Amino acid sequence: MITEKSAMVSVTNLTKSFGTVVAVNDISFEVKPGEIFGLLGPNGAGKTTTIKQILGLLEQEQGEIKVFGLDPNKDDIEIKRNIGYVSEDPLIYKSMTPRMLFNFIASIRGLDESETTKKLQYYFESLEAVEYYDKLVATLSRGNKQKMQVIAALIHDPLLLIMDEPLTGLDAKSAKVVKEVLELHKERGGSVIFSTHILEVAEEMCDRIAIMDRGKIIAMGTIDELSKMADKVGADLEDIFLKLTNQDESVNHIVTNLRKMMNSKKQS
Amino acid sequence: MLSNKELYRISKRVYREGILQGQLQSAGSDQARFLEKIDKDKMQRSPDIILKIMSAIYIAGLVTIPIFALITIHSTLSSGIDSSWVTFVGSLSISGFLIMQPAVLLIFSFMFTWGLMSGGPYKWIHTLPIGRKDIERIGFFTFLRSINVQLISMFLVLPASIVVSIVLVLGSEISILSLVLLIITSLLLSIINLIFDLSLLVIVSRKMAIIMGDQEINSRKTNIIRVLSMILYMTVSMGAMYLIQIAIAKIPELYVLQSWSADTTNIVNIILSIIPFPFAGGYLITIMAMDFSNISGVLLGGSILGIILFIFLTYLIYKKALSTLRQITSTELKKYSKTKKEVFVTDIEIKTTGPTQAFLKRDFAIITREMSSIMILIMPFMIPLYMLFIPMDEQLFIGPAGLSIEMIVMLFYVSMVTVMLVVSLTNIESGGSTITASLPISVRDQVKSKIPHFVGTIPLAYIAAMFMRVGTSQFTTMISFALAFLPAIPIIGLASLFFKSLLFGKMKHKIVLEEIKNENKFVKHVLVFVFTFVLMGVFVYVSAFGFLHLGIAEVVSAILLYITYNIMYPKQ
Repeated sequence: MITEKSAMVSVTNLTKSFGTVVAVNDISFEVKPGEIFGLLGPNGAGKTTTIKQILGLLEQEQGEIKVFGLDPNKDDIEIKRNIGYVSEDPLIYKSMTPRMLFNFIASIRGLDESETTKKLQYYFESLEAVEYYDKLVATLSRGNKQKMQVIAALIHDPLLLIMDEPLTGLDAKSAKVVKEVLELHKERGGSVIFSTHILEVAEEMCDRIAIMDRGKIIAMGTIDELSKMADKVGADLEDIFLKLTNQDESVNHIVTNLRKMMNSKKQS
Repeated sequence: MLSNKELYRISKRVYREGILQGQLQSAGSDQARFLEKIDKDKMQRSPDIILKIMSAIYIAGLVTIPIFALITIHSTLSSGIDSSWVTFVGSLSISGFLIMQPAVLLIFSFMFTWGLMSGGPYKWIHTLPIGRKDIERIGFFTFLRSINVQLISMFLVLPASIVVSIVLVLGSEISILSLVLLIITSLLLSIINLIFDLSLLVIVSRKMAIIMGDQEINSRKTNIIRVLSMILYMTVSMGAMYLIQIAIAKIPELYVLQSWSADTTNIVNIILSIIPFPFAGGYLITIMAMDFSNISGVLLGGSILGIILFIFLTYLIYKKALSTLRQITSTELKKYSKTKKEVFVTDIEIKTTGPTQAFLKRDFAIITREMSSIMILIMPFMIPLYMLFIPMDEQLFIGPAGLSIEMIVMLFYVSMVTVMLVVSLTNIESGGSTITASLPISVRDQVKSKIPHFVGTIPLAYIAAMFMRVGTSQFTTMISFALAFLPAIPIIGLASLFFKSLLFGKMKHKIVLEEIKNENKFVKHVLVFVFTFVLMGVFVYVSAFGFLHLGIAEVVSAILLYITYNIMYPKQ
């Protein structure tokens, strides 16, 4: 049984390798009820592998994951009943219309027809997607596909939302609506694992952030705690992130060289 | 202006872009997985080379028809059959060959050209400092490059057949002048044919690219055309083999079956010879191969007039093809679709069903709309098609033993189709992975939704195949044989599905239908084939002891299969 008192997600000493590549290396963290937890890191840091293990899509190799106190590999159906997931690539069925897609989702989740219809109307109207309800997903823009993913993740009022770059492709208004939905979800005691490259969004939304690099969590805490760790008190998340992932010097070097090249072109 | 050599070099990039776009469109919702696959396996980036060579070999195989026709013309002429009838049958054979050439080119080259004809691959060329005229020439070179091997094969096939016929028979039968004229005519005809067929391919590919255009990629209309194209593809390729056999086996009989008077035949010959394609060419080659003997000047004049008309027709089609190529390399592609019907959504509402029915509905939406899943629709058609096209060789399939051989071959063919269906059905589960990843899916429900394909569609197609022999003396025996094996068909289908799931989807706590254990993929697929064939082999072996034994084996297998199903996919 799912108990809301315990941590929503608890990851302990998790390690996962693909051949000789260690994708996730001995990481541990917890996501509490009513918390938006950010997972940041450059490409290949191990964020998606971690998320897939939480969802039970990849088998755990070493360490332990508990979602609502359950094992994702054993009790994946029970866990997924209470999870909403938005992936980085909106791999949704292109040959279905949103009508077919949401009928399918509601059927698999065993949702109540009239209640779900009301929620669906609300989300479609809020995200200005009503006109796409009977169009093929294949013909939708990246942003509209993303809206479908977001609605699919929210439609069953899950306890935990796992969102990998949920704002990609969304226009300013829709992005604001999604952010507000996440805040409301948090206020109602729900949790969010939020993975993004847009550091301003992470700074604005996340209560705590874990910065991953090459499979390891190199820093974790609130923005204030992270800035202290990076010796950059008062700095924005971008500077903190670059410092903690040791990319600040390399960025400075690149920028200097670029300036030199552009200036020499101008003079010649 | 860039040189032709430089433009041809640039066309290689455009061509590769076109191939990739075609592959992506074919991948449907499976695009991410496909991209991952080509990233790992470099061979996936050049799938065209082997296919090009195979297509060229297939086109070259048509060489047998004119060779056989020309040899037969001479053997029948010397046996005293009316020359007008020989001209008629001979010309029909050559004309049949000429009409098969564009058909085969269309079928085997379409897969290389339709990606290019969307115009998409040329877009990035416009960002480079290359003139508009040069881009048009790049368009032409890219098209040629896409089917270069097939074109060489096609150009050579008619002259080669003439040379072979000369070496075998004609060399000693007709005058040197006729031989020279025959070779020159075959070369000229080959060139005109090539331009005609190529132009036709450009126009048809463009039409198909419009139908399969990006925005309509998954519409039902597109997929009906895709299904029909695939069925046509298989029917033509299997039919072509069948026709070659028929041509070889039946044409000598046609020569001795003259049913009209010589005068009527002469009139028919003259009328047909004026028809530019394919008859004018067929008549001209036949007339020359007959050394102009007993050929009226009117018939010769008619076929020359037909060829002139054919050249004119080719010129018109060529002009149209050039304008099509110009259009696809232009930055402003003409709007090809009619004004789309606006969809006004009046109701957003949810209608739920049970999970198994939901999977069935989803599968139906995907199967009827996605290129990568269309094989699921086509596969059952392959079973009756096979029965239609396998040669009814009375020498081999005679008596009870012969019939048994034919049925056993059929059963193994059904097994092969079943495995292909298993692979296609399980591939559906990998598409739309974002949605399925987050849903509380019961694998048992997923498996249940696949059962109708094995219990309904395949057995129905199998029985329909038997009806291809209706009216023959073998039919009654065949249908009773088929009915005895009917329960074995779904058993091997489901066993194959379970086995594949076990190899590819076994996790610590459950077995899934998706291919998540992708290591040694090729070996695992071979194992699934071997497993299915061995299982069918066991049923065939048991049937040798009588149908009662077969029935017992089927009942026992069904019980074992049910137990396996409950163990592998327990209720949750």
